[in-house]
Amino acid sequence: MLVLLLAAPLAGAAVLTRARGPLAAALHGLTAALTLLLALATAVTVYRTGDLTALDGFLRADALSAWMVALIGLVGAAAAVEAPRYVGDAVARRFYALFHLFVFTMLLAVTTDDIGLMWCAIEGTTLASVFLVNFERTRASLEASYKYLLICSVGIAIAFLGTVLVYFADIQLFGDETYALRWTTLLRLAPGLAPRVVQLAFVFLVVGYGTKAGLAPMHTWLPDAHSEAPAPVSALMSGVLLSVGIYAILRFKPVVDLAAGAAFAGRILLAFGLLSMAVAALFLWTTQNFKRMLAYSSVEHVGVVCVGLGFGGAWGVTGALLHIANHALAKSMLFLLAGRIRAAYDSAEIAAVRGLSRPLPRTGAAFLAGMLALMGLPPFGLFTSEVLIFGAGFREGAAAAAALGLVLLLVAFAGLLRSTQTMLYGAPAGAPPREPSRAWPIVPVTVALGLLLLTGLAWPPGLDDALGRIAKIVAR
Amino acid sequence: MTTASNLLAFVGLVVTLAIVWRQSWPGRLRLFAAQSLVLAALAGTLGLLAGRPRLLLVALVFLVVKAVVIPRVLRRIGAGMPVRPVTPGKSSGVALLVAGVLVVVAYAVMLPVRAATELPTEGAIPLAFAMALIGLFLCVTGRDALGHILGFLVFENGIFGLALLATYGLPGIVEAGVFLDVLVIVLIMEAVVGEVRREHESIDEQRLRELRE
Repeated sequence: MLVLLLAAPLAGAAVLTRARGPLAAALHGLTAALTLLLALATAVTVYRTGDLTALDGFLRADALSAWMVALIGLVGAAAAVEAPRYVGDAVARRFYALFHLFVFTMLLAVTTDDIGLMWCAIEGTTLASVFLVNFERTRASLEASYKYLLICSVGIAIAFLGTVLVYFADIQLFGDETYALRWTTLLRLAPGLAPRVVQLAFVFLVVGYGTKAGLAPMHTWLPDAHSEAPAPVSALMSGVLLSVGIYAILRFKPVVDLAAGAAFAGRILLAFGLLSMAVAALFLWTTQNFKRMLAYSSVEHVGVVCVGLGFGGAWGVTGALLHIANHALAKSMLFLLAGRIRAAYDSAEIAAVRGLSRPLPRTGAAFLAGMLALMGLPPFGLFTSEVLIFGAGFREGAAAAAALGLVLLLVAFAGLLRSTQTMLYGAPAGAPPREPSRAWPIVPVTVALGLLLLTGLAWPPGLDDALGRIAKIVAR
Repeated sequence: MTTASNLLAFVGLVVTLAIVWRQSWPGRLRLFAAQSLVLAALAGTLGLLAGRPRLLLVALVFLVVKAVVIPRVLRRIGAGMPVRPVTPGKSSGVALLVAGVLVVVAYAVMLPVRAATELPTEGAIPLAFAMALIGLFLCVTGRDALGHILGFLVFENGIFGLALLATYGLPGIVEAGVFLDVLVIVLIMEAVVGEVRREHESIDEQRLRELRE
């Protein structure tokens, strides 16, 4: 099952380098559908029957992996539906092939048990997506892709330094080289690892993978790359790529907790989380570009997730994992809608699209619903996960930090509300959209909003159990 | 073994400091190739003395990738650039001073690592970490794309040295992934820098300042 799951996007990417024209679009759709099906099947199997392993334990999917696999499948499919609108015939081959390669690297990162290979896969996500960021080949997108490649390469090299130190601590206890970098081995040996070395390694790992996750102050590449990339790529990057960075940190957290005591990793994550929220809240008030606004909001939500992990406890971890999923759904949908708006107005400036709810009523309504979800209002899922996260703060005796977090959340909320209001209902500024259109991406938006309502109002049977099992993996 | 690893790591650090000091791009490039050579020698020496034949292969691959292929690509990137000082009108005194401080920092940070091991190579671990830190410093303060790439590569070399000295090298698959990765990054960088140059007629980082709040 795991091998098939990884083979589908990889084979699709390989074939797509040769296909052209309508055939390429058809193959692209087929690959995306197959990947989605296999991802959902993998997740269901893991939750029904327990962990999956393949290739001598090299690939391994537990409840946490399954959660991420399902998310990557869903967001990947939503982005794939919109992709053909952005691709000219001339470059379709390269775009589709890199798109599926990008999905493959993310899936590999969350399904391998080897932390060395996980590092390679996460580095691979940067390499696969850097050309996608520069897809429109403008000056700004070129600069964004350069910044993205450089900053993320340095970040990931820092994470490699952390991985080397973990391996160093591990190999002292465990002679065999082949299995020493397996996460399962690490977890088993964790109580005996040298605590100071593991702490040092964790600092490097958080800074390194935190760069990929968009944690402040390593987030500087993120608004550029996410706003310059074509909408489907932005949706993938903001929706799931950031969470893959968090996932990597999540894998190391239990190891550090066991080796060096529970408080250490939590404190670091809490500090980075609050800083990210503060930086994002500030920029949400100043940014003039709605794609950048969405990108800064991603920094904010990654911060919220880290705050939840920092508070810890059952509520904090459950809330953080649920928040990852909720944010992935809401943000990918919003980026897809933003792509439509940008295409209609030929601009991503907030001022240029003022009053868009009149010429684009459906897109406007869907955008509003997504923004309300993103702001954390009920009845959407982000409200639930934020209540869980900040409730955890008060329960775990970190009331001051939780209160500070709530204030920052409020500042960000007001900034988002102001921009949304201007975009949807402001007095129209200049020319009306090039092509007033009633079309809107109906399938991805309905699915995303439906799932957000589910996580907000009525948890489907099994969700509680699934989250509980993941929480047991992360918090020991 | 202790003597050999200490000596080679020390030579590596001296070369790294020379990179900070050198102002001309071709000179820096030659020094980078020299640093890679020293690290390949370190890998080979450890492989022989510690009886790890796999490290000999690693040394060979490292030699080809880092001391031959990548410098060649870098030369291609830098071709056509005037041989001018990296920081015109400024001496590298301050940069060298910072690099010196980083060496001290490296010793302080690596204390717990040294305390946790009995390996004969432990004395050289902070030297390799200092190389990495100086590389990071070069990367962050680089004024143009070439400076960034070179700093990144020095950083990567330092981490490679650290992995060698602290663990006698990582498992083969990870090592292979890292080599492939560095190579691809440099090639992508070449493509991106080429485009930047066509767009801007220069690779001066100062001109890449369109995306700002």
